[in-house]
Amino acid sequence: MKTIMRLVMGAALAALALSPSRSAAAVGCTLSNPARDLKALYPEMTSYREDVKELPKFPQGRELYEALQARVGSDLDPVYEAFDTPYTLYSVFKGEARLGYVHGVNVPGRGGVIQVFVSADPATAVISRLFFQRLESPGGAALRAKETRAQFTGLSLADFYKHDYYAAVEPGSATDKVAQLKPPAELPETARPDWDATLRGLRKNLILLDIFAFDRRHEPVYQRAEEARKKKESKP
Amino acid sequence: MTFTTFAWRNLTRRPVRTLLTSGGVALAVAVAVSLGGFNLGYKRAIDGSIEQLGFQVMVMAKGCPYEAATMMLKGGTGLLYLPENAHTKIKNDPDIEAITPIFIGIAEKQGSSIDDAPAASSFTILSGVDAPSFRVMKPWLAFKKGPGYDSGRWFAPDATNEVVMGFEAAEYEQRKVGDVLYASITPNGKTAPVMHAFHVTGVLERSGSQDDGTVFLPLTTAQRIFGREGELTIIGIKLREFNGIRMREFEGRWMSIPEVQVVSLEQVKGALVSLVGTAQTMVAAVAVIAIIVAVIGVINAILMSVYERIGEIGIMKAVGAARIQVFRLIWTETLLICLAGAISGCLLAVITAGATDAALRHLLNIGVTQGLVRITPGLLGGAVLGSVILGLLAGIWPARRAANLHPIEAIRANE
Repeated sequence: MKTIMRLVMGAALAALALSPSRSAAAVGCTLSNPARDLKALYPEMTSYREDVKELPKFPQGRELYEALQARVGSDLDPVYEAFDTPYTLYSVFKGEARLGYVHGVNVPGRGGVIQVFVSADPATAVISRLFFQRLESPGGAALRAKETRAQFTGLSLADFYKHDYYAAVEPGSATDKVAQLKPPAELPETARPDWDATLRGLRKNLILLDIFAFDRRHEPVYQRAEEARKKKESKP
Repeated sequence: MTFTTFAWRNLTRRPVRTLLTSGGVALAVAVAVSLGGFNLGYKRAIDGSIEQLGFQVMVMAKGCPYEAATMMLKGGTGLLYLPENAHTKIKNDPDIEAITPIFIGIAEKQGSSIDDAPAASSFTILSGVDAPSFRVMKPWLAFKKGPGYDSGRWFAPDATNEVVMGFEAAEYEQRKVGDVLYASITPNGKTAPVMHAFHVTGVLERSGSQDDGTVFLPLTTAQRIFGREGELTIIGIKLREFNGIRMREFEGRWMSIPEVQVVSLEQVKGALVSLVGTAQTMVAAVAVIAIIVAVIGVINAILMSVYERIGEIGIMKAVGAARIQVFRLIWTETLLICLAGAISGCLLAVITAGATDAALRHLLNIGVTQGLVRITPGLLGGAVLGSVILGLLAGIWPARRAANLHPIEAIRANE
């Protein structure tokens, strides 16, 4: 009977510990209807998995957050891009085979939050599609246009790091894919900050995806770009 | 050895049966406590949500007052509007302690879709308020502090492009003081939305009410951008003395204005409480059935226990145990099972209160933001007491059967 009582008490305490509680943590970015949205991205999908990633739970989480800040190239908002912001990584499967990753981030636009999602190839880490889940902008229609978003297909984080290198060492290089990204012609001037926010959000998204899914495989490219930039800056 | 120890030892001889019987009681108690908690919590949640509106009386356009009130509590579309001159007429009523005009409109968010097709858009509630009188109604509203929020202030009455954001609205849009907020509004009589850019002058602390998800802007600005100059959604009123007589007098004075109705939030509260009455009755019926089944289970288990020990009881009586002593022993066993079940049931109800709340909120989405399940010490005490009384009643028959056994016949029957 004592064993049974212990089991009952143990179950009660476990249930208490697992009962839902309100958290005041930073707001993450999740798909509003993952089953529908992922099926739209990958029609051959048979299953998917959601992994919530939080930098504080990584062994060197604080260092990763500082690395993210350095690689994004601008300050992270202390409230809405805080250290404890949760991120949701979606892995899409056909049977046992992983078809792709889908990941989204919040980024402050001029007049509201922009949610930038990408789907990426699990082998090459290349973007297969970029889309906005939320975007409120005078240039919203132009930014959402298929042609605008198609520019990003085929890019990877390496292209953004190479862009840093080219910008410092060889401006105007024809091989700088990121420099060739152009805002839509019909984008009003007032919506230009939302184009810039989109680029920033995409870069942040890819850096996080590199950490969460690709074991930081693009890090050597970043390091080489940084060395080149510093060498260039140190020259009189 | 006391009767209680003796009874406890008897029960532990069949631990699985004791546990299952006690578990049946626990489930019934958990259902009953959760239902009681829902009754208490729902009424309190309605009270709290209405209290946070800040006023006791609303003047609104003729229509369904309860639907309008629910929209006020949880937000919604399809609101009716009343002429602003009603406010001018009513505001000097001697019974009024405070009055505030409110205009509510809906801003449509631009839709986005993953598959390039047009997507359904979401909404933001915009509330045009007269800040000075609105603040009198809701003195608890305070500005959020901290980096990015410190310079929060209310907008100027004639500001055309300033807004104050509720806590959740700001969090949802990731806005801070000084940021810009876009809102697309379709003016009355037009079909295409017009995008407006507002400057955020303040972000409010969380209040736990509908205000958290609302964007506030000056009344005249809201009326203008929605193309409804001279119109209001409601007039909120706080009376100097609020009771049935004063309310009827007040209502009588102002019901004469065409197109408007005067609604007491007490009436609204009554209507909202009655809305869930049917659901509560059904859950109560389930709880009563669960209790009856549990009581039958207890009687059955104790009777089985008596019949299994018929020889023992015969020997007890043969060596001098009085009828009352045998009766007391069986009665104590019943009581212990019910008491253990009651305590476990109370524990279960407390642990699962969050899940129960979430489930009820999913089933009964009628616009309250506070907890729907409120389990109080009194409720738990009542449940334990009720279980003890039922246990005592359930134990009478098996205990009498045991007490009335003839010792010789009982010993022989067991051979």
